[in-house]
Amino acid sequence: MTSAFIEIRDIKKHYGPITAVKDVTLDIRKGEFMTFLGPSGSGKSTTLYMLAGFEYPTAGDIKLNGRTLLDTPSHKRNIGMVFQRYTLFPHLTVGENVAFPLRIRRMPKADVERKVKEALRLVRLEGFEDRKPALMSGGQQQRVALARALVYDPPVLLMDEPLSALDKKLREEIQFEIRRIHQETGVTILYVTHDQEEALRLSDRIAVFSQGKIDQIGSGQTLYAEPATRFVAGFIGDSNFIDTDVVSVEGSHATLALPGGKLVSGVPLHSAGPGKTAALLLRPERIDIRAADGGPDGALKGTIRDITFLGNNTDVLVEIPAGKQLSVRIPFGHPMLGGLKPALPVALSFNPETVHAFQG
Amino acid sequence: MAMTATAAPGERVARRRNAAFAWTLPALVLILLFFVTPVLGLMLRSVTEPTLGLQNYAELIGTGTYARIFANTFLVAGVVTALSVVIGYPVAWALAVLPRPWGQLVFAIIILSMWTNLLARTYAWMVLLQRTGVINKTLIGLGVIDKPLALVNNLVGVTIGMTYIMLPFVILPLVGVIRAIDPAILRAGALCGANSWQCFTRILLPLSLPGVAAGALMVFVMALGYYVTPALLGGTANMMLAEMVAQFVQSLVNWGMGGAAAFVLLVVTLALYAAQLRFFGTRRIG
Repeated sequence: MTSAFIEIRDIKKHYGPITAVKDVTLDIRKGEFMTFLGPSGSGKSTTLYMLAGFEYPTAGDIKLNGRTLLDTPSHKRNIGMVFQRYTLFPHLTVGENVAFPLRIRRMPKADVERKVKEALRLVRLEGFEDRKPALMSGGQQQRVALARALVYDPPVLLMDEPLSALDKKLREEIQFEIRRIHQETGVTILYVTHDQEEALRLSDRIAVFSQGKIDQIGSGQTLYAEPATRFVAGFIGDSNFIDTDVVSVEGSHATLALPGGKLVSGVPLHSAGPGKTAALLLRPERIDIRAADGGPDGALKGTIRDITFLGNNTDVLVEIPAGKQLSVRIPFGHPMLGGLKPALPVALSFNPETVHAFQG
Repeated sequence: MAMTATAAPGERVARRRNAAFAWTLPALVLILLFFVTPVLGLMLRSVTEPTLGLQNYAELIGTGTYARIFANTFLVAGVVTALSVVIGYPVAWALAVLPRPWGQLVFAIIILSMWTNLLARTYAWMVLLQRTGVINKTLIGLGVIDKPLALVNNLVGVTIGMTYIMLPFVILPLVGVIRAIDPAILRAGALCGANSWQCFTRILLPLSLPGVAAGALMVFVMALGYYVTPALLGGTANMMLAEMVAQFVQSLVNWGMGGAAAFVLLVVTLALYAAQLRFFGTRRIG
């Protein structure tokens, strides 16, 4: 009925009284790069482990190509996986490691040699066949692990925070490699990470996990511009939240009272409860800042506490009434920057159409 | 000025090292006096008593009875080692992967058995294995056998008793080695398509081989020179090497032959140890 390649349906996972995965439903298209993003303990790794067959769901079903995976043990699922820790077989050489899945499948020797060569070329490690894993850097080991996971052409590749042990520069380098390999092979990738930047850089779509369930699924742009929950808004990109009172609700929009008394209307409201207050999301780069010397009033008044030059951006820290501090980001060379200095009273304004409020 | 400044710390280190050496001196003297000297003395007696020459060694190798004792000893030590590894490996694996309370319980049982007096354990086996013992009675009662099996006063009894005593020496080093293997490596093996047996033979076993070798060597060497269990559970017809040495020294007061037999044992042990170092000594796991 559905055209989904992988269907995850209402899966739950309990460990005694602890619920690791509450209720996850998700469709993944063939060839898609899907990332599970969330903090540790949000259920993203457990969900991946259920796909790998290391964990069995308490309830629900996982289907690949329309057939349930749950009756198949790990070693028969024909799924590739790269782990967070280094999992190359330390007693085997790089070539033997990559050949391992093929030898298990009793592939003829000549084919094994050809496939191993191809896989090592794919991860740009030609000529490393005879090296022992212990003599390679972490980045190289993870690339060999990637070659080993792809050498038998699995339809699905699972990656469980494969780059978390590497330093930032190397991580970005391998992220680029992973993108290239995804494009070259067309393999469907399920990628787990807690690093939003990594998720944004790699994925076609991102599923944001929080407390055992998915808060929102969408492209990085959608998650950033149209967050469905306060958690997603806070997890993706930099954000300021200010506490406001809900004055009135008109359909999916609301009129809010800001600290200092000003009212804004027409703010998109995401309701999670009938509360009288709402958290207003203001992205740092979407706030206009101006010296408060006459001219029209802004939505908020404040005082500059700190100015940090960061190269392409300058971060201005503004204290608003009630002691709350907001971060305002201004691109390099922008006219708004002229004349800003610490202790200067400023007026802040924003376009109500482009912000979001989360009613609690 | 600069010269003395750079020389002084070096001198101080050297002086401290000398002081440290002085502290080890009593221990070194002790080892020399009570370990090295007797071994050298025994070796000396083996080539000087009753006359100077290698006649004691020639007699050991040339006499059929003695050759059989050597063969018995190596056979029993080999079988005991093999059985200890075959039985001990799964136990070590279970200890490594069992959830904490259960693992600790099994561990406690093994340690307690090790702490129980050796003679008590050996006599217990004598009672269990004798013609009218629990094992024979049970087997007859179940109708498996008609007549009691000869389980004691022969090499079968020695092998059973010694395997029991040696098991912890295989299990304990293996637990550490198996625990050090990251379970994620075995999960990776499973996703690569390896079933449980293939994961065991191609990943777990090769990775734990240094532990197997260490345990096996320890057991083999201990078994070669073991005295109490062969003396109690073995028969007079099938002597082992340590019993022979004891007989030479105690009954026959033949220090030459006794020394020669003991020295042969020592050389074999050292050779095995060297071989183990050669093949597994430098290898590291993980």
